Amino acid sequence: MKIFDIIKMAFKNLWRRKGRTLLTVIGVVIGSCAVIVMISLGLGMNLAMDNMLASWGDLTAITIYNYSYGVSDESVALDDDAVESIKAIENVSYVIPRLRVESNMVTIAAGRSDRYRMDWAEIYGVDFSLLDKMGYTPETGEFPSEDEYSSTIIFGNETAYNFRDTRKRGDKQYTWKQYLSDGTYTLPFIDPQDEKILVAINNTKQQNDDGTYQYGGRGYEYELNCSAVLMQDPNWETVYSVLIDINVAKDIIDDYNRRNGVKDANDPQYTYVKVVCDDINDVEEVETQIEAMGFNCSSMADMRGEMKKTLGIIQLVLGCLAAISLFVAALSITNTMIMSIYERTKEIGIMKVLGCYVGNIRSAFLFEAGLIGLLGGIIGTVLSYAISIGMNYFGAGVMASLLGTSGDTPVSIIPLWLVLLALGFSTLIGLISGFVPANRAVKISALEAIKSE
Amino acid sequence: MAIIEIKDLRKTYKLGNERVHALKRINLTIEKGEICCVLGTSGSGKSTLLNMLAGLEKPTKGSVFIKGTEITKLSEKKLARFRQENLGFIFQSYNLLNQLTALENVAMPLMFKGMPRKRREKIAAKMLKSVSLDNRMKHKPSQMSGGQQQRVGIARAFVTKPSVIFADEPTGNLDSHTTEDVMKLMVEMCRKYNLTLVLVTHDLGISEYADKIVHIIDGEITSVEKNISKYDLEKVKVKIGERIEINEK
Ligand SMILES: Nc1ncnc2c1ncn2[C@@H]1O[C@H](COP(=O)(O)OP(=O)(O)OP(=O)(O)O)[C@@H](O)[C@H]1O
Ligand SMILES: [Mg+2]
Repeated sequence: MKIFDIIKMAFKNLWRRKGRTLLTVIGVVIGSCAVIVMISLGLGMNLAMDNMLASWGDLTAITIYNYSYGVSDESVALDDDAVESIKAIENVSYVIPRLRVESNMVTIAAGRSDRYRMDWAEIYGVDFSLLDKMGYTPETGEFPSEDEYSSTIIFGNETAYNFRDTRKRGDKQYTWKQYLSDGTYTLPFIDPQDEKILVAINNTKQQNDDGTYQYGGRGYEYELNCSAVLMQDPNWETVYSVLIDINVAKDIIDDYNRRNGVKDANDPQYTYVKVVCDDINDVEEVETQIEAMGFNCSSMADMRGEMKKTLGIIQLVLGCLAAISLFVAALSITNTMIMSIYERTKEIGIMKVLGCYVGNIRSAFLFEAGLIGLLGGIIGTVLSYAISIGMNYFGAGVMASLLGTSGDTPVSIIPLWLVLLALGFSTLIGLISGFVPANRAVKISALEAIKSE
Repeated sequence: MAIIEIKDLRKTYKLGNERVHALKRINLTIEKGEICCVLGTSGSGKSTLLNMLAGLEKPTKGSVFIKGTEITKLSEKKLARFRQENLGFIFQSYNLLNQLTALENVAMPLMFKGMPRKRREKIAAKMLKSVSLDNRMKHKPSQMSGGQQQRVGIARAFVTKPSVIFADEPTGNLDSHTTEDVMKLMVEMCRKYNLTLVLVTHDLGISEYADKIVHIIDGEITSVEKNISKYDLEKVKVKIGERIEINEK
C-alpha cells in the first residue's frame, strides 16, 4: 500500500466517527493545554524571579567585600595581584575594584573661600572607564571622557546634601532632602555641577576645636569638576558618596601618607571588588573559585538558587497535575482505538484476506492514533496561547504586586520550543496509546473476522 | 498442468477433550483453467478445505501447493503477497466494505499492491463494466441488491487477474434466477482469462457449472467426477441453434 493510501484511510476512519474522534481529541486538547500552560507559568515564574533579583542587583555579578581589611593580618590581601588572578578565572568578563579613601583623609569643599564643606565624605576610587560596567548610570550630566578622568568627580544622588554652610550656626548649617507639601523637595546648598569641587588632604595632626582637621595647602589640593550625578543604585551604595578615578584615589592616599608621616604603608587594598561573569550560569562556579582563594563573596546567584528550588517544587506539583490529565487523555485514545478495532474487526479481516500487509494495517492504526494526538496538540497549543494572553492581561498586575517587579513581566511565557515540544509530545502520546490497539488489530484472525458480523 | 496440489491434508479441531476431524486425508489436484466444485452437505468440511487452500488456516497435517509454492509454509507477509499476486476471493456474504463505493471496493486489492489511485480506479471501472455495473460505480453496498453486491464481489476477485479464485457458496444468499446470472458471469470471466475457480457449494444445480465435481462427506473425498460445464453446453446449444438458423435460411 502507498503511504498516501494509508494516510487517507486513517483520515477517513477518523472522519467516519467524527463525534467520537472529537471527544478523544478534546481529551488531548485538555491534556496538552494543561501541560503547556503549566510549563508556561513555570517559565513566567522563573522570569519574574530573575526580574525581581535583577531589580535588586546584577545577576551576573559577584561582589567581594574585604571586611577584614585592617582588622586581621592573616587575611589574604585584596590588592592588584589578587585582582589579576581573579581576572584569570574562566568566564569572568570584568573585575572592577573599588578603592576606598578613608573619610578622615580628605575634606571636600566648594564655594567662595570654601564656604560649603563636607568633613566626612565617602570617597571611592573606581576605574572611570568601567563606570557603566559597575552598574552606575548618570541621572544628570555625563560620564567623563578619557582625558577628563583625572579632573572629574561624580556625586551620588544625595551626596550634595552633606555639604554644610560654614557661615551659619547651629542647625542652620545643615540641610537634607525633605518633601514639601507642594510636591517639590528641599535642595542642597549648592548644585555640585555648577561649582569647582575641592578635594583637600587633611593634616590629622592639626585638629580644630569642632573636631575637624586642617586641610589643603599647596600640593595637597585637587580641584575637580563634577560632571554627573548618579542615579540611585539598587544597593544604596552610592547615595551619599562621591566617585573619583582610581588613579586619583591612589594619589590622594599617597599624599595623605606623605603629609601625615605614615611610613610603611602597605599597597592599597580594595575594600570591594565587583566581578562580572559572562553568564548567570557561570556565577556559581566562579564564586567557589574566588572563595577558594580566601575571599568572602556574595552574589544574587545564591539567592537565585534557593528561590529556584522553591519554584521548582511548585512547578513539579503543577507539572504532575498536567501530566495526569495528559495520561487520562492517553487512556482515552487507547480506549477509542480499541473500540474502533472492535467495530472494524470484519473490515480488517476482509483486508487481510485480500492481501493487505499487516504492517499496513498497523501503520494505519498508529497513524490514526498519532493524528488524534497531533490534532489535540495543535488545538491545545492554540488554546494555550489564548489562555496565556488572557492570563498575562489580567494576571500580570497581580503577579507584579506579589513579587514587587514591574507590571509588564508576563505571567505565562510560551516560547517556540515549548510549542514544538508540546506538539511532538502529544503526537508521541498518541502513538504510544495506539501501539497496543494497533497490535491487537494486527493479530485479529482473518478467518474469525470475516465469519463475524 | 496441475495448478493446485493437495497432499494428505488433515484438519482436526480440538474442543476440550473432543476432537473434530473436519478433514481426513485429502488428496486432490486441480488443473489450470479448471472450474472445480466441492460438493457436500452442511458440516462435511467444504469451507474448512477451502480455507486451507486459501491459506486462511493452517492444516494439522499435509500440504497445499499452488503454482508450485507450498503456501502452508509461507510466512504471514509472504502469504499476503502471494494472495495479492495469485488469489481472488468471493464470499457468500459478499464481504464488501460498507463505507466504500463499488468502485473503491473493486480497486481495494490493487491498492494493497501499491498501485496509484488513478490507475487502479481505471482498471476497477473496466472490471465493473464487465459485470454490467458501470451505472453503479459510486454506489455504496447498502444501496445495491444482493445480486449487484455479489457482482461487485466478483469484480473485486477478478480485478487483480489472479491465478486461482476461491468462492465459498457465492450464490448462497441469492434467488435461483440471480444465481444463474452470477454463476454464468463467474464461469464466463474464468474462461475469458483462463482462470482456475474452486467453488464450494451444497447445491447440485450449481455443481453443473463445474468441469470437475468433488464429492465430500464427513471430511473425506468420496468421488471425483468429470463434468461438462452447463455454461459450455449452453454455448454449444446456442451455436447449434445458430447453425440450424443458418441452415434454415
Ligand atoms: N473453528 C472450528 N472449531 C471447531 N470445529 C470447527 C471449526 N470450524 C469448523 N469446525 C467443524 O468442522 C466441520 C466442518 O465444518 P465446515 O465449516 O468446513 O463445514 P461446511 O461443509 O462448510 O458446512 P456448511 O455447508 O454448513 O458451510 C464441522 O463439523 C464443524 O463443526
Ligand atoms: Mg461452509
